[in-house]
Amino acid sequence: MKRISGRRRAALSIIAISMAAVFSAATASADESGRQIFLEGGGGMPGCAVCHTLSDAGSDGDIGPNLDLMKPDKARVRIAVYDGVGVMPAFGEFLSEAEIDAVADYVAGTAGE
Amino acid sequence: MTESTTIPRRHFIVGAAGTVYAGAAIAAGTGSAAADDAALPDYVAWKEPDAFIQHSPKTLETKRREIGSLLTPNDVLFVRNNLPSLTAEQVGEPSAWSVAIEGVANPKSMTVAELQGLDVTQVASVLQCSGNGRGFFDHETSGSQWLTGAAGNVMWTGVPVKSVVEALGGVAGAKSFMTGTGGEILPEGLDPLTLMVERSVPIEAHEQAILAWALNGEPLPLAHGGPLRLVVPGYYGVNNVKHVKRLAFTEEETQAKIQQSGYRMREVGAKGAPDQPSMFKMNVKSWVTHPLADASSGRTLINGVALGGTETLSKIEVSTDGGSSWAEARFEGPDLGPYAWRPFVIAADLPAGTHRIASRATTVSGAVQPEDFPPNHRGYGHNGWSAHAVDVTVS
Repeated sequence: MKRISGRRRAALSIIAISMAAVFSAATASADESGRQIFLEGGGGMPGCAVCHTLSDAGSDGDIGPNLDLMKPDKARVRIAVYDGVGVMPAFGEFLSEAEIDAVADYVAGTAGE
Repeated sequence: MTESTTIPRRHFIVGAAGTVYAGAAIAAGTGSAAADDAALPDYVAWKEPDAFIQHSPKTLETKRREIGSLLTPNDVLFVRNNLPSLTAEQVGEPSAWSVAIEGVANPKSMTVAELQGLDVTQVASVLQCSGNGRGFFDHETSGSQWLTGAAGNVMWTGVPVKSVVEALGGVAGAKSFMTGTGGEILPEGLDPLTLMVERSVPIEAHEQAILAWALNGEPLPLAHGGPLRLVVPGYYGVNNVKHVKRLAFTEEETQAKIQQSGYRMREVGAKGAPDQPSMFKMNVKSWVTHPLADASSGRTLINGVALGGTETLSKIEVSTDGGSSWAEARFEGPDLGPYAWRPFVIAADLPAGTHRIASRATTVSGAVQPEDFPPNHRGYGHNGWSAHAVDVTVS
């Protein structure tokens, strides 16, 4: 195995730390945009909060399922947003992929917390 | 008795206490929180808790062995509410609940009490969610992963819509649809068409439709759409509008999303659109309800239920070898009409080993339950006999 000098090791560590920081910032940003979509909607889609309870968002909508109780994973949120469920319309065309990802990450990451 | 199924890879199975968990979604990674051991929500606290798989507080699936025989008792009947049920406080005095009848010569709002004084009939019909059997599909679908238990056979009491129409001077002009509107309370700040439960069915369905106030002889529970529900026998559950506030004869289908893009049969990947078939009439279907996993050697009675949608059944067959051979079973009990299901039974003497038991129904017009049902985007209408078969081990 190729030996890595002390200086290079230090440099790699810095890169690793920086990447972690970037990743963390990206996650926080996605969380924030996901929370915003949840509360306010986007692209003509009403906010999820109108119909759903999610304590992290401070919402108490009782039209659709209580997400704190349901604790859906990301895939379930994604498909519900895309396709709708029963009376819940399909919102796939209202949001971008990134927005659907963001709101799905947000709900899956906070429901029931 | 434990339960098993032949369900494909997306599903799991069985518990020693006789539980089929709604595992399809979990296995598929879609994260259903379904459980069968949680207390029932307050609005259905009067139901039998052990009879259900809870997909969510608004979606309760009757366990396969619990659906009853000729009729499904109210306390084990499945629940699927698109919107929260109205409360007793919101409804007020049930007999004073009113429904606006429109699109007739003399439009009028009529109370339940007035309707009860006009005419009365009883009709037995299968109430079944469009997505019953969704969990049998292999592709990933949105919505509750129902297997067999989003269905029940019940007796409705109410006034024939035909009698109401006649009393109000008949349908006014040329109309193509009968449109029912639910009285659920919608959140502010939303276009009502986004969420309202308003469904249009072809006008000929009004010939058999009723405005019902009783379910199996009891006042119609709020959880099932009381005090008044539009019942369209032979049509999928969504068309049977709960808490009905308006019944209109219309030239066009409603513009509500639930009609325009919801409940549309389409290919996997396609978006819902008005030119696709709507979930109206139910198809021919049957499934075994006993035995579901184990049986003792010797004589075994194989039971199940079969429905023809809007048609009378002509035949029900059972296979104990996964569909290689079939024997005609016997319908059990009285025939409650074309919209009801019929229990069936056949005696079998099964040797030790595992047997795949399936059932296959045929209607008088020759519609036969298929072996498989083609995948569709939302997982509606599954009546394939193969997926509904059960593997039973005889010791």
